[in-house]
Amino acid sequence: MRYLVRAVELGLLACRTCGLPAPRPASSEARCERCASRLHPRTPRSAEVTGAWLITGMLLYIPANVLPVIHTSGLAGGQDSTILSGVLSFWRAGSWDIAALIFTASIAVPVTKFLALGLLLWTVRRRSVWDMGQRSKLYRLVEIIGYWSMLDVVVVALTSALLQFQTLISAEPRPGIVFFCAVVVTTMIAAMSFDPRLIWDASSGHAR
Amino acid sequence: MLIPSNELLICRDCDAVHRRTTLESHQVAHCIACGAVLARGPRLGIDQLLALTVAAAILFLIANANPVLSIEVAGIRTQANGLTAALSMEHGWVGSAATVLALTTFLVPMTQIALLLWLLSFASVARRAPGCRSVLIALHRLRPWSMTEVLLLGVLVAIVKLSGWVQVVPGVGVWALAGLTVLMTMLSLVDRRDWWSLAESGT
Repeated sequence: MRYLVRAVELGLLACRTCGLPAPRPASSEARCERCASRLHPRTPRSAEVTGAWLITGMLLYIPANVLPVIHTSGLAGGQDSTILSGVLSFWRAGSWDIAALIFTASIAVPVTKFLALGLLLWTVRRRSVWDMGQRSKLYRLVEIIGYWSMLDVVVVALTSALLQFQTLISAEPRPGIVFFCAVVVTTMIAAMSFDPRLIWDASSGHAR
Repeated sequence: MLIPSNELLICRDCDAVHRRTTLESHQVAHCIACGAVLARGPRLGIDQLLALTVAAAILFLIANANPVLSIEVAGIRTQANGLTAALSMEHGWVGSAATVLALTTFLVPMTQIALLLWLLSFASVARRAPGCRSVLIALHRLRPWSMTEVLLLGVLVAIVKLSGWVQVVPGVGVWALAGLTVLMTMLSLVDRRDWWSLAESGT
């Protein structure tokens, strides 16, 4: 067993922007000597800010799924599609691979982010020492998968750009895509606001 | 207390303190507590990084000046790339999604490439770029918002999706976009301490 020394125990901290170690500052006005960013032992009000962005994202996720994201029309008439109905129509048409990809990017990724950030906030609040290594990995997963949800926005934009000057078929974006885009942005900000060092703060002073 | 800042590595994710060792090229140091990447060995020199950035700039221009895909229905041919797709969405409040798309797939990668060119062209003649610190902070902030790889996957999905209804032809832009994705990933794998050493060295 190695004894784990944390910067907070040595009176040190690492600059969040450039990573340079520094002695823990006496005032909140202190700045990093290399990059001049504000130095804080922990990101101020990290849990509250993350929670606020997370709840905003969850609320926006409702109209993002209920409202149509694209309107397509062809010879057989027009129809509005939501994200889920788009996935289902690919599935029925036999394109299970595209259906799975859009399902993952647009439904599984946002839901995973909500659950993971919710779990992290809840365990940090309880000062839980339960499997901190895995919870750190969970946080990094949330960071990595974050922006892949923009996939559907890209696909809707490309589809409508290609079809807007066509005569036989056409496609137009619908308001659902704006809410969906907002979900991606708010959950990315939520993940960035979370200070992952809080996960390990419950353990300070314990041997591992 | 004066700390030799180059002897310690503090984990970004869990605050664990490590002693720094010299890494060989392609070696990656992980945190003993949480497994986060602490440092990466140097893979590429300044000149190689500059070459990659110039290549990225060229591919970026090609990817945005040419269509990534085009379709043909009843003799009418239409084409699009990431930028024209974002611009064509610009009507009504649905346009706000287009703004995010234009920022993350066009403006942010373009700014990243421009800032890297600025930094590296000075570094290649062993000089410190003016505004080096602000440039490095800007690069740090922009990184999560750069979505070239998402645009590439979106283009591939759109090709498959539309080919069910109409005839789809991938354009020159899609190859440039694929190359750009690879180069941007290579550039993002440079250790952030190596970037910051550019701010400390030189005249």
